[in-house]
Amino acid sequence: MKSAAFDYERPTSLPEALDLLDRHGEDCKPLAGGQSLVPLLAMRLARPRLLVDLDRVPELRGFTGQAAGAMTTNAQLERRAGDLPPVIAAALPHIGHFQIRNRGTVGGSLAHLDPAGEWPALALLLEAELTVESKRRGRRTLSAGEFMRGPLTTALAADELLISVSWPRWPAGARWAFAEVARRPGDFALAGAACTVIAGRTRAVVFAVGPLPQVAGDGGFEVTGDLHASAAYRREVGKRLLDRVMTQAAI
Amino acid sequence: MEQSLRVKVNGQDLRREVPPRLTLADFLRDRLRLTGTHLGCEHGVCGACTVLLDGDAVRACLLLAVQADGREVTTVEGMGEPGRLTPLQRAFLARGAFQCGFCTPGFLATGEALLRSGRRLTRAELPQLLAGNLCRCTGYGPIVDAILEATGSR
Ligand SMILES: Cc1cc2nc3c(=O)[nH]c(=O)nc-3n(C[C@H](O)[C@H](O)[C@H](O)COP(=O)(O)OP(=O)(O)OC[C@H]3O[C@@H](n4cnc5c(N)ncnc54)[C@H](O)[C@@H]3O)c2cc1C
Ligand code: FES
Ligand code: FES
Repeated sequence: MKSAAFDYERPTSLPEALDLLDRHGEDCKPLAGGQSLVPLLAMRLARPRLLVDLDRVPELRGFTGQAAGAMTTNAQLERRAGDLPPVIAAALPHIGHFQIRNRGTVGGSLAHLDPAGEWPALALLLEAELTVESKRRGRRTLSAGEFMRGPLTTALAADELLISVSWPRWPAGARWAFAEVARRPGDFALAGAACTVIAGRTRAVVFAVGPLPQVAGDGGFEVTGDLHASAAYRREVGKRLLDRVMTQAAI
Repeated sequence: MEQSLRVKVNGQDLRREVPPRLTLADFLRDRLRLTGTHLGCEHGVCGACTVLLDGDAVRACLLLAVQADGREVTTVEGMGEPGRLTPLQRAFLARGAFQCGFCTPGFLATGEALLRSGRRLTRAELPQLLAGNLCRCTGYGPIVDAILEATGSR
């Protein structure tokens, strides 16, 4: 369980970081909190030649009630829970243990795109916008749906960084609910669901059941089974959790 | 290529050359011989390697040593010493909060971070706050007791 050798750069500005990515492309990987990437390196499931540590890129920091820089840690957001849409505040404590949240970032969670992750589900639920940038093509803004391509797969090109994520203002009187099932607190969810009712419009998302978080509609949802839970379990529990959050949010 | 690292460990300023792939846990254990930081799973699940980074509890197995550059690390060796234990260490001793002791340095780091956070800790919420540290011996009850006891003396 030791990583293969790699080089390391710690840029101190966004142009410098984007330039490194531009020059090294597929051979390099950005490093955020390292809470997913360092295990992948140790298991040698990832073998980049260069890590570009984003820790000292000031343009990726910063937080307002409606947007977070990619390098904002989940712990930093938890401390500002009162300024966030309440459904984000409710989901944060489920993202691993508090020691993991001290390091793990919003940008890392979205760019890693674990189908059981809370952030991808929140981004889809809130119809968030993700701003990404590369040296050659500049900035572009993607909807959550456009950003997510498949399990652990995003629309980010090898030379591109996720800069920030933003969500619409949370209106007074909006309602919401969040629920997930995990074996122990802090474990990845085996199934989860979240719902908002904003200006009379209901939107619900189910996650940790299939290849990606999915907006709940009439057609059901896609499920996959693995070591942790069977497809049948996820279909059943996902359905129950959706019912639960939609009922709770409606009251 | 080796990378230069400046880090404060248990109050001491250090300067070392390290390969970027070296984790903080391996840096502490192999380079500094601070073997109180234990490695169980090496992928973030067991909490045995938990240390304080600028006062926050983090996994030393999920941090590259170079990421600690310019920061302060506290390990179990920096928390107290024989005859001058911290209140949390004394409470662990009094309550029998360890048997084999493998998990103990990690629980002490987690417990220390919780005590320093200043939040009011209740018996009901401690199991959840401790879920990031595994213990195969004690059944957790004495660990919860010890942390609550130390809360009283803070
Ligand atoms: C024990 C344990 C339990 C966990 N439980 C949960 C859980 O319940 N729910 C959950 O959601 N997560 C969980 N996680 C994962 C955790 O939340 C990770 O922190 C997160 O998924 C990745 O964030 P990071 O900042 O650590 O990113 P890193 O690990 O540094 O990076 C992850 C990936 O994203 C890329 N990347 C990072 N930042 C950018 C950027 N700005 N632009 C482009 N690419 C980027 C990296 O190159 C890498 O491929 C858990 C982790 C552990 C170890
Ligand atoms: S050794 Fe770091 S969490 Fe298990
Ligand atoms: S005392 Fe043995 S693992 Fe905790």
